[in-house]
Amino acid sequence: MIEIRQLRRAFGGVVALDGVSLTIPEGERRAVIGPNGAGKTTLINLLTGEIRPTGGAVRLVGLDVTALRSWQRARLGLAHVYQRTELFPPLSARENVALAVAARRGPYRVLRAAPPSEHADADAMLDRVGLAGREEVLARALSHGERRQLELAVALAQGPRVLLLDEPTAGMSPVETARITELVAGLDRTLTILIVEHDMDVVFRLADRVTVLHEGRVIADGTAAEVRGDALVHDVYLGKAVTVA
Amino acid sequence: MTPLARWTLVAVGATALVTFPYWSAAWESTRFATTLLRDALILAIFALSLDILVGRAGMPSLGHAAFFGGGAYAAGIAGQRLATDQLPVTLGAAALFAAVLAFVIGILVVRSEGIFFLMLTLALAQIVFAIAFQWTAVTGGSNGLSGVGRPMLGAVDLSSPDLTYVLVAVTFIVAALVVWGLARSPYGRALIGVRENERRMRALGYDTARLRLSAFVLAGTMAGIAGALSAYSTRFVSAQDAGLGNSVRAFVTVLVGGAGTLGGPIAGSALVSLIERVVPSLLPPELRISEAILGVVFIAFVLFARQGMVGLGRSAWLRVRSR
Repeated sequence: MIEIRQLRRAFGGVVALDGVSLTIPEGERRAVIGPNGAGKTTLINLLTGEIRPTGGAVRLVGLDVTALRSWQRARLGLAHVYQRTELFPPLSARENVALAVAARRGPYRVLRAAPPSEHADADAMLDRVGLAGREEVLARALSHGERRQLELAVALAQGPRVLLLDEPTAGMSPVETARITELVAGLDRTLTILIVEHDMDVVFRLADRVTVLHEGRVIADGTAAEVRGDALVHDVYLGKAVTVA
Repeated sequence: MTPLARWTLVAVGATALVTFPYWSAAWESTRFATTLLRDALILAIFALSLDILVGRAGMPSLGHAAFFGGGAYAAGIAGQRLATDQLPVTLGAAALFAAVLAFVIGILVVRSEGIFFLMLTLALAQIVFAIAFQWTAVTGGSNGLSGVGRPMLGAVDLSSPDLTYVLVAVTFIVAALVVWGLARSPYGRALIGVRENERRMRALGYDTARLRLSAFVLAGTMAGIAGALSAYSTRFVSAQDAGLGNSVRAFVTVLVGGAGTLGGPIAGSALVSLIERVVPSLLPPELRISEAILGVVFIAFVLFARQGMVGLGRSAWLRVRSR
């Protein structure tokens, strides 16, 4: 479902991603972890098409998408929850989701209001992420946690086959984190998910397999239990997290 | 208010507007108010078209007069070259030429944003102005294009002041309805999405460059129609119609009235028309400097009322209601 071959990206002289290969079959939930600067966000941005690789190839849903733009990849079924909240502040929660629902039908519908079914779909999605009753609230008036929930609703409303989650629980309270984690855990098992996350509880709760990035390379790859036992991973990442904690 | 009551009100208002020359004739024998209102409505169509870009899609164009002027020239020149005064032909030529011009300029500008978009539209519109100013054989150059044909609809001659006014008022109502419908359509919402977060829109699967281009062509076409109406009204096209001054005038109209609203560009054009045409006659001759007055008003709005006249009206209404 996601297939990355020898992906490389340099920013000037700095190599952010140095020949990463990764295969994620359909329905798998893969976590990518690693210290800051490991290349996690670069990897996500290369998958969405927001930046172009210096070398290598990206395949999604069985197609080579390396040359495709981000909106074309989205049409193939790729959705993305950003690390920083990326919403439409002056629009209501419902309208934010409706924009995602409407994307499939195209924007060139003029001179007529959106069909009620689009708003019903949007409301159903808001209900699913726990924002029932907040449909009319403007995105800018929502709390941080609610905005993250709305982000997820927007991404799911696209009807994706591949979902990229870039630190979906960043800045959330423990209660909100637990809710989002359970929500993601309960998603359709045919959906392929790649999640970048710092919270190890979330990672081990959600991920079938874990890939560890360090300085732009894959240093470990395996089931959650295998990675937890990996000495090198402890050295560069988990160990450090433990000592900090 | 029920939808029926609201639409009845709109219909009554629209009828009153279109028939203005007839019920005002008793007290308005000089036709000053009719001419003033006609030109204000042309400016309103022009400003409404610019607001699709500035207010809805977040594309601050400083070259919108290129399409106004382009439409005006196209209507005049098409009528002369094709030896016809038929409105569908000349107005169609204006809309088509403005659309093609907007498509060509649009392709060059839609991928840039903010100040770069502003400067690019300005520069490209100045090229259009230079062509209009220099190409004397076709446009009349600095003398302008005189002898624009009268607007004819079949055998009906619309060139009398009253009927030209009716043509302008009907077009204005259609334009306002189009913008109103646009604003509540999925298309209008998508333009707001582009304005607010283009990156997110791409991630949702919207081809935002194409969306922006479509808005640019739509706005340009509407401006071209406004330009043609101006050409019919004065039977003349000046190169200044395509010039920077006219672009700035539309921009000021939108911002003073309130960008991103239906009422804003309309209210703005009323205020700008009053400042340009009525206020100077109330002042002593040495103070008849409407551009300077307009400049001061504009600065006042930018400093103290960013949401324009519509925003002022809204906050006043809220204050009254909360009492």
